[in-house]
Amino acid sequence: MSKRAVDAVFQALFLLSDIRFLLRETAPQHDLDEAEQKRAAATLEKVKRQIAVIEEELVR
Amino acid sequence: MRCAVDIEARDVEEMYINIDPIQAGGRLTPEAMKAAISFGDGYSVCDNCRNPPRLDYIKNPPIAQYHADLAAWLNMDTARVVPGARRGFQAVASTLVSKGDPVILTALAHYTEFMAIEAAGGIPREIPKDEKNHITPDAAAEKIEAVIREFSRTPPLLFVDHVDYQFGNVHDVAGIIKVAHQYDIPVLVNGAYTVGIMPVDGKALGADFVVGSGHKSMAAPAPSGVLATTNEHAARVFRMTQAKGDVTGRTFGMKEVEMMGCTLMGVTVVGMMASFPHVRERVQHWETEVAHSQAVTDALLSIEGTKVLSDYPRKHTLTRIDTRGSFDMVAQRHKKRGFFLASDMKKRGITGVIPGSTKVWKYNTFGLTEKQIRHVGESFVGVAQDNGLNTV
Repeated sequence: MSKRAVDAVFQALFLLSDIRFLLRETAPQHDLDEAEQKRAAATLEKVKRQIAVIEEELVR
Repeated sequence: MRCAVDIEARDVEEMYINIDPIQAGGRLTPEAMKAAISFGDGYSVCDNCRNPPRLDYIKNPPIAQYHADLAAWLNMDTARVVPGARRGFQAVASTLVSKGDPVILTALAHYTEFMAIEAAGGIPREIPKDEKNHITPDAAAEKIEAVIREFSRTPPLLFVDHVDYQFGNVHDVAGIIKVAHQYDIPVLVNGAYTVGIMPVDGKALGADFVVGSGHKSMAAPAPSGVLATTNEHAARVFRMTQAKGDVTGRTFGMKEVEMMGCTLMGVTVVGMMASFPHVRERVQHWETEVAHSQAVTDALLSIEGTKVLSDYPRKHTLTRIDTRGSFDMVAQRHKKRGFFLASDMKKRGITGVIPGSTKVWKYNTFGLTEKQIRHVGESFVGVAQDNGLNTV
C-alpha cells in the first residue's frame, strides 16, 4: 500500500483542476496576465513535484 | 479527446464563454470539481454511514452539518438535499395535494411544477401574468377567489417562482405569500433561479417551502437541489415510513417516505457541499452580477432593432431578448440562415446562443469575469456590424 502515491495522485489531479479553472476564467483567449502566469507556473511546479513522488513510489 | 469509447470529453467551459440560459449558475467551483474527482464512485458518501442509517445523519463527510447550514442559510427550520428542484416540488405536492385538489401556480411556472401537481392528482390553475410579465399579489388574490368559486374549497398549495425561467423577472413573492396566507394556503417558492446566486431569506419572504436547484444555481453536479421548510410543515413532508412487510415483518426505521430514504448518495451532495462556502459568499456580490447582465443587455440594445423583453434595467442575469428587428433580419438573407448568429459568436469564443435562434432567445451572464463580460458585449456588437446592422 502506498498512501504516499495515492495522495500524490489526488494532489496532482487537484492541482491540474486549478489549471483547468484558470483556463475557464480566461476563456476564450487564454491570454494570461502576469499574475495568472505566475499562478500557472507555481501550480505546474507543484504538479511536477507530485509526479516525481508518484514515480518514486511506483516506477523505481 | 475522448474520456470513454464513444464519449468526447466536454471542454465547453474551458474553450468558450458559455452564456447558455440554464447552465450558468450550475458550473462547478474548483472545490466541487475536486470533490467530484474524489467522490465519483456510486455510494461514495456511505463509508461512514452509521445509526440511524440516513444521509442527513452522516458526519463524515459532514453531511449532517451541511443540512443544518443549508436551513440556516435560507433562514428556514429544516432542509433536505433532493435530486433536483423538481423532486422538491414533487415531495411537497405528494404530501399536501390529494386527487382532484386545485393547485395554484403561475403563468410563468416551470413545467416541472405542473408535473408535480399532475403526479399528485391535482388540477393546476394559473395566476395570469400582467402586461409587464409579472405575477402580482392582486392577480394571485383574484385567482384564489376564482379557484375557491370553481372548486368550493381552498387550494392546498400555491407555487410561485421567485424569478421565472422565461423572462428572468423578480416577482413580488412576499406580497403573493401574504395574500395566500390570508386564505391559509401554504406557498412553495421555486428558487431555482435565486437560491445560490442571490440572497434568499425564506422567513423574510414568509415561505412555507423554499426549493433550490443545485445544478442550476448552486454550482453542483446534476441532479441536485434543496427543499427547505418550516417546523410547521417539516413533520408532514419529511414524515418517516410506517411500512411493514407482511411476510418478513421488516420495518425501515427513520427513512423518510417523500425522500425515498436517502437522496444524494455520492458526487452530487459532496459537490453541493464543496461549493457551499463559495456559493454562500457569491450571493453577497449579486449587484456585480446584475451590473454585468446590464452591460451585455446594453450592448445588445445598442444594435438597432433589438428589444429587451425582460425587466429593464436588469435585475437578474437571465435575460430574454427580441432580435427580430436585428439579427433575424440578417438571418433572412444569410447563407447560414438563423444559424449565423450562434456560428459567428462561436468563432469569437462564445457559446450558449441556441443554434438557429435569431428571433426571441435568452442568455445568462452569471459568473463571468469583467473581461469576459466585455468580450461578450463587444462580440454581439461586432457580429451585428459585420453583418451590416446599425449600432448606436
